[in-house]
Amino acid sequence: MKRALTLLVAALALSLGASAMAQTEITLGRFFGACEQAGTDIQSAVGEACIIQTIINAFSAADNGVKVNTLPTDWGNYYDQLKAMFAAGNPPNIFVIHKHAIPEFASLGALADLGPDLAKAGIDPSDWTATGKAAVTYDGKIYAIPMDAHANLWYVNMDIMKQAGLVNADGTPMVPHSPEEMLQQAKTVKEKTGKDYLTADFSQFPIGVRLVLSLVWQQNAELFTADKANVDSPEATKAVETILSLFKGGYADPTLNYNDSMQAFINGNAAVLVNGDWVVNSLDAQTQDPKVALKHFYVADFPTLFQTPATWADSHTWAIPSTLKKQNPDKYWAALKLAKWIYDHDLDWARTGHSSISKSVVASAAYAAQPHRQEYANTVNIARDVQQTTHYDAIQNVLNRELQAIWLTGKPIDQALKDANGQVQDILDR
Amino acid sequence: MVGLRGRNRILMPLLTVIAVLWLVPVLWMVSMSLQPNELLARTTSNTLLGLIPVPFTFHNFIRLFTLGLTPRWFLNSMVVSIGMTTLVLALSSMAGFAFARIPFRGRNILFAVVLAGLVIPEQAVFIPLYTMFADWHWHNTYQALIAPRLAVPIGVFLMTQFFRGIPSYIEEAAQLDGANRWTIFSRIMLPLSIPALTTLAILTFLYAWNDYLWPLVSANHKEMFTITVGLASIQSNFAQSEGLGRVMASGVMASLPMILLFLVFQRYVVRGIAMGGGK
Amino acid sequence: METPVPIRPLPAGRKAARRRARGVQDNLEGYAFAAPFLVAYGLFLIYPFFKGIWISLHDWNLLAVAFDPAAKKFVGLENYIHMVWGRHLVWGVDHLVWARLLGLAAVAAAVAFASSGRLRWRTAILFAVIGVLLFGVALGIHPASDGRWFDRRFWHIVWNTLLFVLLTVPSVTVIALALAVALNRQSRHAAALRTAFFLSQVLSVTVVTLIWQLMLSPKQGILANVMVALGMRPIEWITNASLAMPAIVITTVWWSIGFAMIIYLAGLQEIPDELYEAARIDGAGGWTILRNITLPALSRTTTLVVVLQIILQFQVFGQSHLITRGGPNDSTQVLVRYIYQTAFQNSQLGYASALSVFLFIFMLGFSLLQARAQGAD
Repeated sequence: MKRALTLLVAALALSLGASAMAQTEITLGRFFGACEQAGTDIQSAVGEACIIQTIINAFSAADNGVKVNTLPTDWGNYYDQLKAMFAAGNPPNIFVIHKHAIPEFASLGALADLGPDLAKAGIDPSDWTATGKAAVTYDGKIYAIPMDAHANLWYVNMDIMKQAGLVNADGTPMVPHSPEEMLQQAKTVKEKTGKDYLTADFSQFPIGVRLVLSLVWQQNAELFTADKANVDSPEATKAVETILSLFKGGYADPTLNYNDSMQAFINGNAAVLVNGDWVVNSLDAQTQDPKVALKHFYVADFPTLFQTPATWADSHTWAIPSTLKKQNPDKYWAALKLAKWIYDHDLDWARTGHSSISKSVVASAAYAAQPHRQEYANTVNIARDVQQTTHYDAIQNVLNRELQAIWLTGKPIDQALKDANGQVQDILDR
Repeated sequence: MVGLRGRNRILMPLLTVIAVLWLVPVLWMVSMSLQPNELLARTTSNTLLGLIPVPFTFHNFIRLFTLGLTPRWFLNSMVVSIGMTTLVLALSSMAGFAFARIPFRGRNILFAVVLAGLVIPEQAVFIPLYTMFADWHWHNTYQALIAPRLAVPIGVFLMTQFFRGIPSYIEEAAQLDGANRWTIFSRIMLPLSIPALTTLAILTFLYAWNDYLWPLVSANHKEMFTITVGLASIQSNFAQSEGLGRVMASGVMASLPMILLFLVFQRYVVRGIAMGGGK
Repeated sequence: METPVPIRPLPAGRKAARRRARGVQDNLEGYAFAAPFLVAYGLFLIYPFFKGIWISLHDWNLLAVAFDPAAKKFVGLENYIHMVWGRHLVWGVDHLVWARLLGLAAVAAAVAFASSGRLRWRTAILFAVIGVLLFGVALGIHPASDGRWFDRRFWHIVWNTLLFVLLTVPSVTVIALALAVALNRQSRHAAALRTAFFLSQVLSVTVVTLIWQLMLSPKQGILANVMVALGMRPIEWITNASLAMPAIVITTVWWSIGFAMIIYLAGLQEIPDELYEAARIDGAGGWTILRNITLPALSRTTTLVVVLQIILQFQVFGQSHLITRGGPNDSTQVLVRYIYQTAFQNSQLGYASALSVFLFIFMLGFSLLQARAQGAD
């Protein structure tokens, strides 16, 4: 009896130990939305959520001893949740993080310094484009693996533009080269087609902030430096006035949120949509549906309305908590394995519309052949990231609030910019 | 009974109309949960302002159970609510019994200290509790969601008041029969206090089920969300334009237990609030 | 009511010893029964309360301290000064002049009530002193043209929260009272209507915000659908700075009348029938009865309802967080949301704790004053 018991216990222990060695389970934090029926077929997935989830699922399904548990979070709350998880001592083992947020987390010591371990994980940083390398480097160290670079684009409904007579001979849409020209185009579109000229999310997420940033950069100015706020400047005023002129003329609706603005473009109610490159793929899928009003669209670079071409850009990267390597080396290396897998599938991820940060992918024919890719090929050259600061999220919140005050509540521009300037300076002084 | 007698004829019908209008938001949610998502993405006012679910489908509820985390959130809410209610009943009834019926040293001062805690709102302690639980690695567990509410003195207050109202001869008779304190408590006092316990149970369950701020802060892994927090997390936009029916179905699921509980135990809820109000 | 039980008297020493033994046993048992609760109470309410005050005296970054416990810095009352004070503050007679005159008028009214006997003198003097300090002095403080509040948003957020309470509490109280009076009858019909009005109270705040976000949506809301059908432009509640606050007030009132209505019903049922009979014999009509009998008899109940509602509505969070997201332009940003964001978005735990202490004191003070005013002392 005793023998049998001992054997049983031994067998149990062995099986438990064995199963522990067979599978390392890691947790992954991301936004991008939910794709519950993702499966593992990467090629047929559409849109950010499903493409990333199929990539992750395929990794779990492959026989490599690692299983991934995805913890999806909605975009608006992502960093709050991430900070809460760090503070509670249980951050995800690997998580996506924007380039603009890396300084904040890295300076607190939250991110693992991956530089020394890249070679062992089989990741080659020399394949990273300059943008990709810059995205993950802070204070001379590499804190993440880059996945993409994304920028604001100018989506154009070709049918409306044709109707308004604003199409070039080669079939590309006419993009404005000055604020006055833009206003003129808006007027033309309104008169000839009755549609709004431009739609974007001005009332919810900081898309409006990014627009203002782009227009300020185009005037060779900055909204803030490392220690000085420069928000109530003539360039900022001009940028805001440019956007306001569209609202004043009735050519754009500032009250639309993210969904509403996407819907407006899909329903054919606006000539231009300003959004990031992550919706190229899903918009394309929409045009396949015969019930949808949007039929033909062109993806142009964000227009240069002032002196210098520029458009807001950021990057998605994957980081690992600094405490993981010591706490659980198995999970640490498993996470790096997953990071490599995601990087190896960068071409698939780029199908969303994002720009790849892998030199080999960028050079490939498949990449160049992706729908609409050639239309905004120049964006990588005019894309500009916000300068590195540990306070970017806080600054963006302030700007978003004050800008929304301007176009939603009629707050005078100089007052709002002055208030914003004061608050941003407070943040920089912290 | 008070009634504005003279205006009886128009008052009740008028109030009935107002009551129906008052319920429109809830009816609309239920109706939308039974309509197909594609329709709702286009219009929410199909068939009588969208109040009647035609075309009709159970699809949203079916998907609720097969996809996404709603069933898991529902389970979490159940565990937390039932756990919290059970513990609150146990702790409050025992402490209430002590304060009401055991003449122990320092009782009055202690009771005053306990009552003083009534003025401390949840928001004054949620931040320090957060740091405490983080240090103990308690976050994202059921105990983290249950523990803070065990300290709120309202239950003790209610049970003390109730026990005070029980005539002392009942206890004395039992003592003469040789019963000890625990027997008196469990065999006599508790059964007598079932009405008060039921009320406390329902109010605690309601509080636990509907709590938002603390679970939002303590449960940051999506699998640990209660259904209240989960529902908040899917409310913001991305879900809404494709999955309005799904989101509404989640809302219905989040509300159903409370509504059912209330409809069945209305009497106790009313009595309990009245008991507190009749002071 | 006790039937005397004949007991053989014990010798004095034994009796006293018996009593002492029972005393010890009582103490033991008393603490044994109360202990589980007291432990929870001390650990999860009292200790955190004081710890919160201790945290508020530090500069404490949530994330930095998570990685290095020594990263917090003791700063004494600096957080509080940053919260309520500023640079180059001046006092002006004419700053916020209308609000202050209104406030002083209310103080004068309180004194008048006292002299006519409707309010006790002690309470009236208390109100007068507070009133003069607040309206006469405190509200006159403001930054000079080259000065500023240290926390530019704080006082505005305090005002928003106060405004929300001032709009919600009277509405809920009046509507709950009206419904209770109207539905205080025995019929099945009345019972059904009472249930209908109470139902919204059992919903969680996130269900309420889910429903009302959509109800108020200018694209998809019921009201919008009706208005569009009638050819009108739908109201944009949430993006309009003047309508956002009314939007969350309406949502809250819809949600909150249940408990208040029931407390009123309980209060109504305590009014003896004879009062009504006597009044009716005297030929008094509905309104007279209401004013002279019902309302005065309900004054205690009203105090309770109002105090509970004040406490409840000061804690508003979900409606501001999920429907209007504090906007537009901070017009619906409320204290609890500010505390939450300061702690978990900006990671400033020390400052957030100071804000919580302020909220606690503010709430306490307000409800105490209110209870005092209703003469519940």
